[in-house]
Amino acid sequence: MRARLEMELGDVPGQLVKVLEPISRFGGNIQSVLHQRERKTPLGRIPVTVIFEVDERAKLNRIVATLRKMGIHIIQIGEREGMVKSTILLVGHIIHTDVRDTIDRLNALKGVMVSDLSLAMGAVGEESAARVTIAAADDARAKAALLKLGEIAAKKKLLMIKLLGER
Amino acid sequence: MMKLALIGFGNLGRGFSRVLLEKAKFLRNYGLTPRVIAAVDEYGAAIDEDGLDLKKLLKLAEKRGAVTAYPKAKKGKLALDVIEKVNADIVFELTPTNIKTGEPGLTHIKKAMLAGRHVVTSNKGPLVVAFRELDRLARRQGVEFRYSASVGGATPVIGLAKKLLAANEVHAIRGVLNGTTNYILTRMSKEGAPFDVVLREAQELGIAEKDPTLDIEGTDTASKITILANAILGMDAKLKDVKVAGIRRIRPEAIRLAQEAGYTIKLIGVAKRDLLEVGPRLVPLGHPLAVGGTLNAVTFETDLAREVTITGFGAGPRETSSALLGDLIDIHRSLGG
Repeated sequence: MRARLEMELGDVPGQLVKVLEPISRFGGNIQSVLHQRERKTPLGRIPVTVIFEVDERAKLNRIVATLRKMGIHIIQIGEREGMVKSTILLVGHIIHTDVRDTIDRLNALKGVMVSDLSLAMGAVGEESAARVTIAAADDARAKAALLKLGEIAAKKKLLMIKLLGER
Repeated sequence: MMKLALIGFGNLGRGFSRVLLEKAKFLRNYGLTPRVIAAVDEYGAAIDEDGLDLKKLLKLAEKRGAVTAYPKAKKGKLALDVIEKVNADIVFELTPTNIKTGEPGLTHIKKAMLAGRHVVTSNKGPLVVAFRELDRLARRQGVEFRYSASVGGATPVIGLAKKLLAANEVHAIRGVLNGTTNYILTRMSKEGAPFDVVLREAQELGIAEKDPTLDIEGTDTASKITILANAILGMDAKLKDVKVAGIRRIRPEAIRLAQEAGYTIKLIGVAKRDLLEVGPRLVPLGHPLAVGGTLNAVTFETDLAREVTITGFGAGPRETSSALLGDLIDIHRSLGG
């Protein structure tokens, strides 16, 4: 998932490095840092927004707990859309059953996007295989997307291969 | 002395007999001296209440393809007769599996229990057709009933869950339970060869049967899931309750796409209280269930121990004899031996 932390830091040297360290240490992969010196608060603090990828909520919790323990003032914790990823394989007449329609119907779901599709064509008349990556805003939406794809696959007679442990 | 009757004397019956000979001295450490007093196949029965000469029986049966070659053997369909009248302590039901009717194994097992004999079987048929009925009958008759060899072959799947994990509640069972399909998928992933080519190779090696339908359509895995659901989750499940997809549509390109993303494709059976299912699944490379070749692997998800995975060899008369002989020793112990 992509996490977004809004914080206020004191205007003294070394503050930014101090907050980035635990994010990296607990497995966060920093995507961007927004340091807004021009928007200094009345108390003279500087708003900083850090966006990072992290693969487990437990890790995000640990990062937040550590920052709080360090006395960092956290204004808001947000999770950005598109960060629960599911990989699915499809086998069947994927193109002839209108792959465009398959993708459009998934994209039509709220908070769901087909973020990657790799296709391996079979010989003429034979079935093809596709690997689909679906990005969803959260677990519930990811589940809904898989359910939808299951319905589409059943109608289009595609074999849907899900991850071990996924329903 | 423990008197055994072997019902079914094909590959498995013979393999088990060979292991009994090989392990005779070893078994005495357990205070166990098993004697095979009857061996039955579809042509007849070799019977000797004092114990058959197993070496001789194996030699003759191998040469002539039937137990009737043994001195004074009787001809005809004699399984039920032997089960009822010959004074065996344990009946080993080792006839071929019929998952539709469970027969003839089902009748053999019931008759044996009604005659007050303990039963050990490798036969999935009776277990998918009438597990609860047989379980109840064994209790009512006060006889021991073991079927370790029916799932996992040499890999002690049932024993692990029922005995060693006895303190746990098992939430889910997931596994690679069919060596043939796992061999095919492994070869396809390593060689990029098409399904039909790999299937033919497996048939030539004797890994796949001439009619491989039950394996590749997932039915064999579904049978094992049914047995595990009954034996370990305490369900009253039948084969038809399992949602099944096989591996016939898996193409090498599909496996390649999976590998590019860090996965492999395995035929996975799942038993949960609200879901019985068999089908191809993406398994992360390096996951304990991502076993190669003809291996079996099963993961139990439990409340205390969390996840426990066991891996080992499935099919093969010698490997399966490990489970059959283990059941014999287990019964011997249960009876205070």
